[in-house]
Amino acid sequence: MTWYLVALSLGALAAIAGATLPRRVRVPVAAALGALGCAVSLVAAVGDLIDGRTILVHSDRLLPFSGVSLTLDPLAALFVVLSSLVGVAACLYLVGYAHGPSASRSAVSIFMVFVLALSVVPLASNIVSFMFAWELMALSSLLLIVTDQAQRPKARSAALWYAAMTQAGAVSITLGLLLCASRAPGQSFVDIAASSSTLSATTRTAAFVLVLLGFASKAGAVPLHVWLPKAHPEAPSPVSALMSSAMVSMGVYGIVRVGGDLLHGGTVGWWVAVAALGIVSAVYGALHATTASDFKRLLAFSTIDIMGLSLIGVGAAGVLEDSGMHADATLAMMAALLLLVAHAAFKGALFLGAGSVERATGTRNLDRLGGLVHTMPTTSVVVALSAGAIMAVPTLSGFSSEWLLLQGLLHGFTDTSTPVVIVMLLGVVALALTGGLTAVAFVKAFGIGFLGQPRSAGARDSREVSRWMGWGSALLVLPSLVLGLVPGLVVSLINRAADTGLGGVATTPVSTGAGLALSQLRGAIEPAALLGALVGVMVVLALAARTLGQRRARRVDAWGCGREEQTPRMQYTATSFAEPLQRVFADVLRPQMDVEVTHAVESRYFQQSLTYHHRIADVVEVRAYRPVFGVVHRVGVLARRLQNGSIHRYLAFGFVALLVVVVVLA
Amino acid sequence: MNTAYVSALDVTAGLVLFAAVMTLWRRGVRTIVSILGVQGLSLSAVALVLAIHEHDTALLVTGGLVLVLKGIVIPGLLLRASRLDPKSRETRPLVNVPASLVAAAVLIVLSYVVSARITSLAPSDATRLVPLGMATILVGYFMLVTRRRAVSKIVGLILVDNGIGLVAYLLTSGVPFIVELGSSIDVLLVVVVLQFLMVSMGRHSDVDVLTERRELRD
Repeated sequence: MTWYLVALSLGALAAIAGATLPRRVRVPVAAALGALGCAVSLVAAVGDLIDGRTILVHSDRLLPFSGVSLTLDPLAALFVVLSSLVGVAACLYLVGYAHGPSASRSAVSIFMVFVLALSVVPLASNIVSFMFAWELMALSSLLLIVTDQAQRPKARSAALWYAAMTQAGAVSITLGLLLCASRAPGQSFVDIAASSSTLSATTRTAAFVLVLLGFASKAGAVPLHVWLPKAHPEAPSPVSALMSSAMVSMGVYGIVRVGGDLLHGGTVGWWVAVAALGIVSAVYGALHATTASDFKRLLAFSTIDIMGLSLIGVGAAGVLEDSGMHADATLAMMAALLLLVAHAAFKGALFLGAGSVERATGTRNLDRLGGLVHTMPTTSVVVALSAGAIMAVPTLSGFSSEWLLLQGLLHGFTDTSTPVVIVMLLGVVALALTGGLTAVAFVKAFGIGFLGQPRSAGARDSREVSRWMGWGSALLVLPSLVLGLVPGLVVSLINRAADTGLGGVATTPVSTGAGLALSQLRGAIEPAALLGALVGVMVVLALAARTLGQRRARRVDAWGCGREEQTPRMQYTATSFAEPLQRVFADVLRPQMDVEVTHAVESRYFQQSLTYHHRIADVVEVRAYRPVFGVVHRVGVLARRLQNGSIHRYLAFGFVALLVVVVVLA
Repeated sequence: MNTAYVSALDVTAGLVLFAAVMTLWRRGVRTIVSILGVQGLSLSAVALVLAIHEHDTALLVTGGLVLVLKGIVIPGLLLRASRLDPKSRETRPLVNVPASLVAAAVLIVLSYVVSARITSLAPSDATRLVPLGMATILVGYFMLVTRRRAVSKIVGLILVDNGIGLVAYLLTSGVPFIVELGSSIDVLLVVVVLQFLMVSMGRHSDVDVLTERRELRD
């Protein structure tokens, strides 16, 4: 634990440095301290995960009620690894990124507080410490959205949404945790876990539902996701990366910690609900990701998608555990956790890459990009590999985790109880459907944004903005490669974390090695061998072509349907690429399209100009949230009649109240 | 001796309420302030009568304090404030004068009804008069609500305070001296602050009619 305390102190120092140092050295020094702190906790957490230790630190000072309590068990260690990993990359990236308002004292020091809070949340092991770290994480990220871009109306409204949702969630989590602790002798998670079986079934379910609402909203599960596609794109890019990779994962962490560890699994209904949330989120997120043309908005929706998949894994694990299939349950839980780690790396890299693109071109609208592969090679490689990982291309991390999830779900069919079969079946369908939709979304993002010809002056004149930004984002590609090529190396670590999440009974459903091989069930993959074979075949083919085929390459213009001159406007755009899918799913997406035609004065047969407007609103927001706002607004208007600013009226209220009290009491 | 005490108490406490009703009746701002002074004097007389009867030195000092503060200082300050516009009158109260007097009658009846239980706790010559204090509070509050002039509103506030003072003297033979001192100084402070506000408001606009001011929130 000493190393964690060193890491936490470094993080605190970074925040202080950000708040006190003069402008020129502020960002490098704070970022170096922050990155160092994250690196220390990363190494320490990996070490403890390998040893499988559980470490406890308690101090009665620092916080009121029950003091600070930090515990590092394998589950916590895994999430510390996850958040420190993204933390290192984001701190390095910040060196190149921060200038102007995002390099101000408040912005830099709050950023460091956010990084620090992210690695404290999984360590906290009593209600007060947990909620303190949780709120620190939520509030610092909220401030980061507004400190940087308060002048943009979109950022302000996004921050408002985020503030409302996250605070409502925090209230719900607090109530749920207090309910869990109602029979416990203290507030620590150990006490709660020991006493939770004495609670009545209704109390436990109520507690879980409250906690689930809060955590699911943080994880962006539909229908509590509304804030996410607004807040994540509007935040400064390193903050988006941290929010969309590490912070959302904490939502899943909370569900596993409370549901699996503190309440010992509960009933099957809980996990069916979790899986249902996951299924809806996965499909909804993927669908919106395919049609979004704002790069960061696309990434935000794909976060909802991946969090959905991970919730499917967690839900399936709970359902399987309930029906006694422990090995299968562990497999599903491992898949969910591996997916979270993989997602943190590739989504972090993608958001950092999107930030570089936005900096370089001045836009994140894919319809205005193109050709970046020539002008921004580092960013292009980072985005290409991470997009490959998210599309589950074999040999990259998304593939191994989704393969594990699919194995867990498929083997669950051996059980015959109805809820298990339904969850597994819908889970497999959702996984398959989102796999396809995600592929469309990221082929679009990379194909339209990075390939082809530039569609705007910004894209044409772009170049890599800073080496630090390149290195920061490139760092997050490494985990995608490692988890993709040799997933067997980390399987035992994930396995320990999954055991903790499921209540501590150890099983090893996946044997260690380079690839993944299920030990008790059938199924194995060897991505490294696959890559080797692929490279081998390509080398052989290349050699064969070189020796047998035509040697000279012939350069000709691309075929342009008979037109001589070809302009960038003749390419597919992100919107047109997604149009067929948008048509297929029109009932869910409800797109609004307007075509404005201005005719030439001479004849109506000729058009002078043609404008196409296209907007996809969030159906859940429009149908579920707006009516509630309408009611609140109407109540507010009514209340304003009471509150009209006339001093006579206010005095009259007091007088009438006095008379009423006097009459009632008499 | 005893009948003299009871009569003195009746007269002085009755004068407090009578003065309160008078402020509703009269329209001239200077007149209203003068009536307030009379009420302050009557209130101090109540305290002094009680002090002499109970041989209570602290109450005697309190009575003296009230005499100076509510009988002389505060009405003096208000008179100076109203001198800004010597002819100012409460021309258009939110509730007109006859209706106000009827309302005052209702409020007096109401205070007799609600005070019955308080009086029955410890019936004595003094507590018998608690309804007068209660009525003064309600009439004062009524004035505060229905009059438009800033000076009238301040007078209403002081009427409420006087009513509270009267109830306190009659029920408990006076609150501890330090409390009385504190609350008196509070009232003085309020009057000074309001006077200051009124003067600065008067500089911004010609009249100190509060009806037109809708945006006091900002």
